[in-house]
Amino acid sequence: MTIMTTVQAINDALGVKMAEDKSVYLLGEDIGWMGGDFGVTRGLYDEFGGERVRDTPLSEAAIIGAAVGSAMVGMRPVAEIMFADFLTECYDQLVNNAAKMHYMFDGQFRAPIVVRAACGGGFGGGPHHSQQAEGWFMNVPGMVMVAPTNPYDTKGMLIASIEDDNPILFLEHKALYGKKMEVPEGKYTVPLRKAKVAREGKDVTIVTAMKNVYDALAAAEKAAAEDISVEVIDLRTIRPWDRETVLNSIRKTGRAIVVTESPKTGGLAADLSAVISEEAFGDLKAPVARVCGLDTPIPFSLPLEKVILPDENKVLAAIKAQMKG
Amino acid sequence: MSDLTPERYLAMYRDMHRIRKFETALELEFKRGNVPGMLHTGLGQEATQVAIAHTLRTVDGLFPDHRCHGLLFLKGTPGKLIMAELFGKATGICSGKGGSLHSADATVNNFGDNSIEGSFMVTALGVALGWKMQGEDRLVAVMVGDGTSGRGEWHESMNLASVWKAPVLYCCVNNGYAISTAVGFSHATENLVDFATGYKIPAEQVDGNDLPAAFAATQRAAEHIRSGKGPYFLEYKTWRWQGLFKGEFRPPEEVQYWKVEHEPIKLAREDLLQREWASEDALDQIAQEVDEEIEGWVKFAMESPSPDPNKATANVYAGWEDVQP
Ligand SMILES: Cc1ncc(C[n+]2csc(CCOP(=O)(O)OP(=O)(O)O)c2C)c(N)n1
Ligand SMILES: [Mg+2]
Repeated sequence: MTIMTTVQAINDALGVKMAEDKSVYLLGEDIGWMGGDFGVTRGLYDEFGGERVRDTPLSEAAIIGAAVGSAMVGMRPVAEIMFADFLTECYDQLVNNAAKMHYMFDGQFRAPIVVRAACGGGFGGGPHHSQQAEGWFMNVPGMVMVAPTNPYDTKGMLIASIEDDNPILFLEHKALYGKKMEVPEGKYTVPLRKAKVAREGKDVTIVTAMKNVYDALAAAEKAAAEDISVEVIDLRTIRPWDRETVLNSIRKTGRAIVVTESPKTGGLAADLSAVISEEAFGDLKAPVARVCGLDTPIPFSLPLEKVILPDENKVLAAIKAQMKG
Repeated sequence: MSDLTPERYLAMYRDMHRIRKFETALELEFKRGNVPGMLHTGLGQEATQVAIAHTLRTVDGLFPDHRCHGLLFLKGTPGKLIMAELFGKATGICSGKGGSLHSADATVNNFGDNSIEGSFMVTALGVALGWKMQGEDRLVAVMVGDGTSGRGEWHESMNLASVWKAPVLYCCVNNGYAISTAVGFSHATENLVDFATGYKIPAEQVDGNDLPAAFAATQRAAEHIRSGKGPYFLEYKTWRWQGLFKGEFRPPEEVQYWKVEHEPIKLAREDLLQREWASEDALDQIAQEVDEEIEGWVKFAMESPSPDPNKATANVYAGWEDVQP
């Protein structure tokens, strides 16, 4: 066991897989000798060389296209899209090619790519460096989105993602890069498509992901002081999400709050609340509540950003409102 | 590098007839309502397609464009499986999921069309990169129209293929128009080789209706790529018979030149006779044999069953059939 940050855990997962499997290689902007904008690939260029840690120009479509094409012939690429906001630049490659390939050619080709992207706001990144991208991909059959919240899960799920045969968008929330915990050395995996009960409770369930898991845990702690017992579910895989864990919890508590940093309309929160209402309506004591980013772009100035994004206090207010309902 | 022997020339002559007959039969079945969707044909572009088909080996990769039904079977897939796919039948090469615009065959390294025109320029780059990293001696041909040269992926692909010395054979089929827009009207040049030379890729323009010339150029290009020198760009000047959906829109002199005077099968026939490599009778005989062959494929497609509706949801994910679509 070593204490690792999330950044180190990602780096370690990449190193473990690259050492084990020659078909694993990395491509992206400034990921080579510099080690990427967030230092995630630091040292891998020295260890594995420029053939397997490929610096590219600012050609996001070509990064994903090259990843997909090479994956079709047996490579296991891990592409870095520097900021999730830039996923629009390769949206077509992901949506129309990677995600549809296995279906449209009826299983003849697969696109086992992992696309890592740094997402999330809260640091003054402004409208083009703060985006949560998952809503853009919720509506894409064939696409998988993985978004762990701590270094242990991150390493295990990244290794599992590289080994999986589907195209995977691996979302890394910038606010979680510095989280630290003990992480085993060497190879292990954490299964995809399994949510985790991050805190057990009996009165109300919060379903969320990424940085908002920490907001929910903090709010749950405060609610406990007022005798409200909150269960927090960390989705870990966002698409397809783990219905069984989510619905079991809601059947138990009878109350549901979904929390996402991305805008409220048409995204993950909308899907979660629709499915919960469809599948567990009879168990609900109150309507499903959504605490989400507002339907605006992300502004630059921090006090403005605070208005837009969910936080611990907004979640706590929702918990209290649920208990009245 | 293969020389143009009499045997080769006659085989190519036969293949031009096979494309001509295939597309003509397909047009007829389309009008009869037996072929759903949209129809783009390769009529008029047979020499270009045959020159490419006779240069690629089975191990080489192909990304066919929307006018490449002929190349699909010339790459090695049994023609009846292609025909059945275009009819949307269960026996089709993609079990009816792909159709005319997405007919791939992994067993012969046909990676399928992508009807987001031009997007697969970067997928082809990826296949080439993958094979290069694996030390494979293979090249990848990608067919792309003049009207597609405005797409970003065109340029991202050529830039990186040049930098990476990726074994890509860019086959630019310049038939003069996008749907209705002339190439010189909407692009900075009407000689698309100009783009390639800007990216420092060796490039040639060739008469795509002159079979011996197109074959020789394609052979030269493949030899360059196979010797490890990186990509090559060929611009085949040709002309498609198909006008707009509503009919002919091009000036009568232009139609007369390409469809009558400079028609590729006629040119090849005259050339073969002049070289005294075949008699009139032998050439007529070829045309007749081809007719019977293709009629057999149409019959197979007509008589094949439609896909089982239960298969509509299969293969969205690789290995995750439990996910409810
Ligand atoms: C990205 C994209 N834009 C537009 C279209 C619609 N479209 C299909 S073919 C075509 C023209 C293509 O022209 P060209 O590449 O010259 O091919 P040609 O049909 O002349 O062989 C257009 C605009 C498309 N399929 N994909
Ligand atoms: Mg054209």
